[in-house]
Amino acid sequence: MTVITATVAAEPYPWPSDGVIDPEHTALINIDWQHDFCGPGGYVDQMGYDLSLVRAPLIPARRALGAARAAGWFILHTREGHRPDLSDLPANKRWRSRRIGAGIGDAGPSGRVLTRGESGWEIVDEMAPLDGEVIIDKPGKGSFYATDLDLQLRLHAITHIVFTGITTDVCVHTTMRDANDRGYECLVLSDATGAIDLSNHLAALKMITMQGGVFGAHATTDALVSVIGSDAPGPIVNEMPVSALL
Amino acid sequence: MSAITAEPFTLEFDVQSSALVFIDFQRDFVLPGGFGEQLGNDTSLLLEAIEPAQRVLATARRIGMFVVHTREGHRPDLSDCPPAKLTRGGQTFIGTEGPMGRILIRGEKGHDIVDEVYPILGEPVIDKLGKGAFYQTDLHQILIDRGIKTLFVGGVTTEVCVHTTVREANDRGFECVVLSDCSASYFPEFHRIGLEMIKAQGAIFGWVATSSQFIDSVG
Repeated sequence: MTVITATVAAEPYPWPSDGVIDPEHTALINIDWQHDFCGPGGYVDQMGYDLSLVRAPLIPARRALGAARAAGWFILHTREGHRPDLSDLPANKRWRSRRIGAGIGDAGPSGRVLTRGESGWEIVDEMAPLDGEVIIDKPGKGSFYATDLDLQLRLHAITHIVFTGITTDVCVHTTMRDANDRGYECLVLSDATGAIDLSNHLAALKMITMQGGVFGAHATTDALVSVIGSDAPGPIVNEMPVSALL
Repeated sequence: MSAITAEPFTLEFDVQSSALVFIDFQRDFVLPGGFGEQLGNDTSLLLEAIEPAQRVLATARRIGMFVVHTREGHRPDLSDCPPAKLTRGGQTFIGTEGPMGRILIRGEKGHDIVDEVYPILGEPVIDKLGKGAFYQTDLHQILIDRGIKTLFVGGVTTEVCVHTTVREANDRGFECVVLSDCSASYFPEFHRIGLEMIKAQGAIFGWVATSSQFIDSVG
């Protein structure tokens, strides 16, 4: 595996801060590419939101995933969801989800909403994990809380993390903030992430750049791949149509 | 409000905000052919805790107390097992094939809980990768979500996983009562001292009581 000493053209600084992308110490974390969040009939669709903004990033995300696999990075995937008995679901989270018409644990077109084992909770085919890639099941927005993510990263000697996923402003941001607080050097891929509301996505990216990069940096998938090399992501099984960004 | 005659002094608690936590009553520790035996231990010493534990479990279920079970073990790919743990003492058995499947691996027969205190629906099972049940698990969140303040703890082994979990719980503000005859160690002296350490200095980590005292306290 090749150690890269070229930096990624990122905002607000060339990433990473130490100028080295070592595949032995770099992870790609793919956040919550679940049917419930970007699929027809899932949690987000039931709430009445437009899915196109969370589906469009799938193409760059697949490209980033292929490149990271080819480069030999440590690859992880997260899934937000709850135990079937809902023992890990805070009452206020449940209340709010019901109020907006998509009660967690309640029956929906893709099975029980945000519940482990149900079809809506599964990762979409475009970002399907491979053997050897770690899946982190999380009850919250941050991927460290109540999970073994930190131990996984430490055991694999990871110091640098690149993110794809949804949504930029919620689970990606919370995870990036938690990772940053723990000392990881983080990069969000601006076109491989998305939010239900475009202005929230843009604000989430801008927040990262304040104070010289308070949480890390963001860059396009092109900027990353031009530095680490690319690889064809492979055929998608049962491909779902991806709408173009408006 | 209830009260349990415990050492070093009586403790008040509320059934609604209490949980029974059974730690690692797994075949790998309690039965021959598993992790405990591979390390050279006499597993029959742990079996003595089972019958009192069954009685306490039956009582907790009857009165509707929240029940949680833990299991120590690892992902099948061992991605969550520190190398230091895998090679402890120069020799490792974690992940290797034994009479009850791969030792301390989730999904294997030895990793699962013994029939006598097997979880039922509504009793979350916490799969932990270390000795403490809070570390890198969702146990803390589950307890907070439920408004739990008091833990009644049984399981194995007293001085390792029970102790570490009680210490973690205590640091997080839970009041813990270790049920002395529902916990056990491969080393009787460690079981005795382990319990002494819990209640020393005015309950520095928590309280100690028997299964009978627990059953009496909840009527």
